[in-house]
Amino acid sequence: MIEVQGLTKRYGDKTAVDGISFTAEPGVVTGFLGPNGAGKSTTMRMIVGLDRPTAGSATVNGKRYADHSAPLHEVGALLDAKAVHPGRSALGHLLAMGATHGIGRTRVDEVIAITGLESVAKKRVRGFSLGMGQRLGIAAALLGDPATLILDEPVNGLDPEGVIWVRTLARQLAAEGRTVFLSSHLMSEMAQTADHIIVLGRGRVIADSSVGEIIALSSGTAVRVRTPDADRFASLIAAPGVTITRSESDLLVVNGVPAPRLGELASSNGVILHELTPAAGTLEDAYLTLTQDEVEYHAGGPGAATPAAATAAMTEGATR
Amino acid sequence: MSTTITSAGTPTDPAGSSRRATLTFGGVLRSEWIKLRTVRSTVWCYAIILLLTVAFGLLLTATFNSRGIGPLPDDGQQAFALQVTTLSIGFSQLVASVLGVLVISGEYGTGMIRSTFTAVPKRIPALLAKAIVFGLITFVVGLVSIVLTALITAPILPGVGIEPDFGDSQYLLGLGGGALSLALVGLMSLAIGAIVRNSAAAIATSLGLLLVVPTVLQILASVTQTTWGLNVATFLPGSASQALYSYGAEGSVINGVVSLSSLEGGLVMMAWVLALTVVAALLIKRRDV
Repeated sequence: MIEVQGLTKRYGDKTAVDGISFTAEPGVVTGFLGPNGAGKSTTMRMIVGLDRPTAGSATVNGKRYADHSAPLHEVGALLDAKAVHPGRSALGHLLAMGATHGIGRTRVDEVIAITGLESVAKKRVRGFSLGMGQRLGIAAALLGDPATLILDEPVNGLDPEGVIWVRTLARQLAAEGRTVFLSSHLMSEMAQTADHIIVLGRGRVIADSSVGEIIALSSGTAVRVRTPDADRFASLIAAPGVTITRSESDLLVVNGVPAPRLGELASSNGVILHELTPAAGTLEDAYLTLTQDEVEYHAGGPGAATPAAATAAMTEGATR
Repeated sequence: MSTTITSAGTPTDPAGSSRRATLTFGGVLRSEWIKLRTVRSTVWCYAIILLLTVAFGLLLTATFNSRGIGPLPDDGQQAFALQVTTLSIGFSQLVASVLGVLVISGEYGTGMIRSTFTAVPKRIPALLAKAIVFGLITFVVGLVSIVLTALITAPILPGVGIEPDFGDSQYLLGLGGGALSLALVGLMSLAIGAIVRNSAAAIATSLGLLLVVPTVLQILASVTQTTWGLNVATFLPGSASQALYSYGAEGSVINGVVSLSSLEGGLVMMAWVLALTVVAALLIKRRDV
């Protein structure tokens, strides 16, 4: 369990994290979502005491991280895949980390096996790919069999296979009753991994609820209806609280009427439907709506920051 | 790389068992020992120290010629025997200094420091463990190099007219003092590395303090015809650590110029190490990493 209260970090007159409060519960995967530069990594570093908060507090299982008698047993953290000396082997790194807590070779070999690093364990980390570095970071995080896992952008640099592996691992760790807190700037990643999402923008919490609620929160429930009889069908379903947007001559986007009801209406009135799609507002749309005003660094010119372009970029990033 | 989806693993040491993992200072010491020996630069630096010591000792023994000056007095023979084993220390110190800096600044440069401080979040135990392990190993490597040089050169010395008494306590103290000076200079640099954090800047600072500052002071002293510059230089790490392995060095003030005994030199060096380590500890506790 991670509890954060009024956590603030200022660098000079720039506020990176602005008085945020939230809780990450055991047994669920809590996603920490936000654009780059929103303050996710800073928050995570403050939780494990690498950065000193300007104000507020962060506790893990009821205590400040540094006050635990076995910190690695409380929290396993993957904060920066490059937090390793490149001249040391993966095995040497894990043995050195484990030694601080009396964790020996047996457990080190276990986490090497779990993360699939057996073949490169004795090679120096200098030659590791981004993905292998990420696996080593996860191995280090699992070393102390921690009750809480903090993973900063764990799928960064992983191949699709690795992405699925991290997703499965995160779900499994939560199912074992651990607290799993992971960050990403990729909405689609979160949609598939997290139960609960905290959205951060410019250092502030903009949303804190379940995945389902976040989607509903901003996008409502839109249904795409394609019919050659668009005019007639639009007048049929028109009612207070129902919004109909017509983007093409035969395409209606209906808000406020569930898809099954639309199907029934069409059938009983003899309207032919070519398409009836509940556009369960993607998490991407929700995310962009939520963070639209909070994105601090837009890529390229103003054109690059349009939702459509950003969504495309994110989806691409997710599937790469 | 093959991907297998496996569980986080049944921990060998589940919570609640009697052998539960705990952070201990002994564990942190072991961790720093593993770190020191699993990086190649350490091995290289220590190998260079060993080779330098033996090579300088052999070189000095082989090139010594007493014919012009006649047989040395007993004191001179002892001093020469000590010098054979410690001649290289001026150079070895530079190697120990660079290694001392890298032991900590290397962690800042690579990001390893974040792993270290995640495992040891109170931080100061990690700094102290680093200093203890590095200081101890450097002392041992220094001592082994010096004793090895003494053993190798012992059969050659009589051939050049030197027949030292190897049981002489001053001589033996000098051997230990040489190793100690190496360790203390290394520790001073480790503290500087922890303060400065950047490898290049910390190495420049350490070597500047060892080499450049004393030279500047000497030039000042000769230009201004005063002794204060020389007296300041006496208390700098380079000169103070030298007193540790100078045969029978006795503290004195001659014509206003101070010189330190071995004990005084050792104490001055320890004061340097202590002061810089305290500063490093205060900073390491406060800074973000």
